[in-house]
Amino acid sequence: MRVLFPVLVFLLAVSGAAQAQVRSVEVRTPRAFGYVLGDVVRAQADIVVDAGFTLQAASLPQPGPLAYWLDLRDLRVEETVTGDARRVRISLTYQNFYAALDVRALEIPGFSVTFESAGAHGATTATAQVPAWSFTISPLREVVPPARENPADYMRPDGRVAAVDAQPLWWRAGGFGALALLAFAGLARDRAWGPFRARRGRPFAAALARLRRLARTPDAEAAYGDALRALHRGLDATDGRRVLADDLPGFLARHPAYRPEADALARLLATSRLAFFGLGPAAARAALPWTHLETLARRLAAAERAA
Amino acid sequence: MNETRPGDAMLTDWREAAGRFERAVGGAVVGQARAIRLLTIAIFARGHVLLEGDVGVGKTTLLRAVARALGGAYERVEGTVDMMPTDLIYHTYLAEDGRPRVEPGPVLRRAEDLSIFFFNEINRARPQVHALLLRLMAERSLTAFNREYHFPNLQVFADRNRVEREETFELPAAARDRFLMEIGMEAPRDAESRRALVFDPRFHDTDALIAGIDADVLDHAAIPGIARAIQHGIQASPAIEAYVVGLWEALVRPGGAGIRLPGIDMEALVQGGASPRGVAFLVRAAKVRAWLEGRDWLVPEDIRAVFPEVMAHRVFLEPVYEMRRAAIVPELCRAVFDTVPAP
Repeated sequence: MRVLFPVLVFLLAVSGAAQAQVRSVEVRTPRAFGYVLGDVVRAQADIVVDAGFTLQAASLPQPGPLAYWLDLRDLRVEETVTGDARRVRISLTYQNFYAALDVRALEIPGFSVTFESAGAHGATTATAQVPAWSFTISPLREVVPPARENPADYMRPDGRVAAVDAQPLWWRAGGFGALALLAFAGLARDRAWGPFRARRGRPFAAALARLRRLARTPDAEAAYGDALRALHRGLDATDGRRVLADDLPGFLARHPAYRPEADALARLLATSRLAFFGLGPAAARAALPWTHLETLARRLAAAERAA
Repeated sequence: MNETRPGDAMLTDWREAAGRFERAVGGAVVGQARAIRLLTIAIFARGHVLLEGDVGVGKTTLLRAVARALGGAYERVEGTVDMMPTDLIYHTYLAEDGRPRVEPGPVLRRAEDLSIFFFNEINRARPQVHALLLRLMAERSLTAFNREYHFPNLQVFADRNRVEREETFELPAAARDRFLMEIGMEAPRDAESRRALVFDPRFHDTDALIAGIDADVLDHAAIPGIARAIQHGIQASPAIEAYVVGLWEALVRPGGAGIRLPGIDMEALVQGGASPRGVAFLVRAAKVRAWLEGRDWLVPEDIRAVFPEVMAHRVFLEPVYEMRRAAIVPELCRAVFDTVPAP
């Protein structure tokens, strides 16, 4: 805590009953010199009044600009009671905006503060006058500096900054980049982008494999029906819908790769119709023997690979 | 019906007659080959038909042409808001001698010979009239003048304007279920037919156009017998039976069948409908189609060809989807055929 030393002691002469109520007014400042443009100037006004008197807050000065060169920035009040007296301490914070060219004294204006005592016979007021006080301010720099060749010399040289090691930053950037790639890969997998796109299945290859398995089953009639079904599933899976015999032209238009097999496919569908809905599998087997079926499956699988 | 060879010959003859019938109607009603084919199927399946379409696409002309080519007695009424069931059955008037008389109305006038009863603008009539029609369609019989009338050859054709909704009464579900088909009619799309319809004066005078059709191409009295012969003569293999049941299941519970339509909760789409009667109708119509195609066994294509017309109006959607029915139901039917494996 800085030692406050009294600048001015203003003791009011005890000359009347009315003035006796305000016992003393004292303004203290840390120092009265050494201020420059923009400095904050602090002051402390101690007012001692008779007990029973209270400060009228409305009579205090309002923070804000006081003059073109002076602002009142802040004002705080503390009250303490010692014996039969009340001590009111007003802490004032001013800011000075006077751009001085030489050392000069400036005066901060005084103000008055009103105290009030409310008794049974009515209210009594007393006014304490806080006096004006002055301080000296100094210029920031020489008024006429010595001439220099290079105008840049008027400025101070740049401060030196320690070189920053960029290596950890690079490491960090690399780490976050890898994380971003990882997250993007997750997103791509979720959305089935790029390499995660489901590969087109090979339904006819599956049908051919099933046909080869079926060739080994002993019940030839059931195997024939299953083989037809396997080829139907191949057609359905290729087209994404159920392909009936009448849909063959549309199927070939949508999948031109199978056009060379148009006749064989028409024969297959006619046979399947016969097997499932017409005369039965026996008649169908006579119309389209197993070897033809397997040949067709092989050629369809080949066309599928080529597509 | 059990003797197969003569039956087969008879069916072949009738198939040719059906072809003549289609050509005769097609000569007067151009660009409606599909509607004519479906009507032919309905005639040989002995089912009632509801035509639905825009104003002036030729619904009435088509039905009149069919009635003329089919022969037999033909009656026609126009649905109105104030029509009552008795207006169909009785004709009441004051005779010349000043006494009130009650005589048979449109339905009874031709008595048992009535082969086509044509109900124009059916949705303008009140539900009471629909109720009467319900019995007429389901049982082909009616009680009037204290006795039962039977109409063994009767087929009800009705039409309905799709655009207008004011002062109309939606057909109850029970009545809609009794129609074999609901055929939607659109104006022909191909430029040739459109030009002809607009510029050829032959199509401007409907009466002359209808009169130009060969009358009685089919013997309407024999059709019920032929229809029975078709139903017995066309075979349905176990595979097609399984297929139809699969379609039915997928239509009623599309979610369970793995059908997904964008923006629709499949579990809460179909409320009900697709009755056993409807599926039986479906097979009946499909058998007629197989017969017309010259086969004596059913194939999945037969089912698919008649499915939208026979089944779509029997599916009842949850109310939240009902307003978008026209878009959802065809999509659902397509998805059902894309999902259910045929063989």
